[in-house]
Amino acid sequence: MQVNKINSVYPLKMALLSKRNMTDRILKFSLQCRTSTMTYYSQELERIKKICFSNEVQLERAINTKKYIDQHFDSLINLDVLAASSHTSKYHLIRVFKKYYGTTPRQYLINKRLSKAKEYLREGRSVSDTCFSIGFESINSFSNLFKAKNGMSPSRYRRAIFDKSE
Amino acid sequence: MRIKIVSIPVTDQQKALDFYTDILGFVKKVDLPLGGGNRWLTVVSQNDQDGPELLLEPAPLHFEPSKVYQDSLKEAGIPWTQFYVDDCQAEFNRLSQLGVTFSMEPKEMGTVVAAVFDDTCGNYIQIVEEK
Repeated sequence: MQVNKINSVYPLKMALLSKRNMTDRILKFSLQCRTSTMTYYSQELERIKKICFSNEVQLERAINTKKYIDQHFDSLINLDVLAASSHTSKYHLIRVFKKYYGTTPRQYLINKRLSKAKEYLREGRSVSDTCFSIGFESINSFSNLFKAKNGMSPSRYRRAIFDKSE
Repeated sequence: MRIKIVSIPVTDQQKALDFYTDILGFVKKVDLPLGGGNRWLTVVSQNDQDGPELLLEPAPLHFEPSKVYQDSLKEAGIPWTQFYVDDCQAEFNRLSQLGVTFSMEPKEMGTVVAAVFDDTCGNYIQIVEEK
């Protein structure tokens, strides 16, 4: 179980709480409770699900694209490859992916690779081995991106892990 | 500026520590006495012990509005926060066997599968598996 992204329930929580008719909804819900085991929250999820996730074809396309990235992050992946794998246009794919994951396929791929890089460096793999194992072709661009995202270079990150374990 | 701590109100710090470590599997990271029986008490993920810390704070015992807010969320079944798991159904099965009560069984919600359980310290918590 991970304590990461742990605030991400808040936008939904705030959306629920900010409703002017929340009190009415909860009162109505309390009455329903006598005959139903669903909480107000579960009922709201069902309502939101119908609004946001009713297009199953689109949803499946986004999920399959994410799975493709998860499985092939170490290979050459670009929008042409992703669009071909999901039988759709590049621009439509970007829109659909962003709609369901809140980020672009490219940004998701970069985050996935950098997250894997940290995992490999923690395992003791070298910077160059890590770089090529996650699909980067240049150590310089990998190091610069890693530093921009983590505040330290991959070699410093690796050293910090090593120092801590001594 | 970095996000290092996020907090959750609990009605009993020791009971919360037992639940969050023994049942959920988190690891205690910091435990400082603050006087009056209160503690600065944090737990972290087993596999990411340098990651964000979850502060188990006794706010509902000392600040009435905190208790009102916590109780209101609980009454509506709204989770205080959420944790990420690899397999929501497997975690639901594991926790159920340990006696944890769920207000919502694993449910498909777009790109995630989510379930909600009672942390026995005044909150509902959501677990989420990303698809």
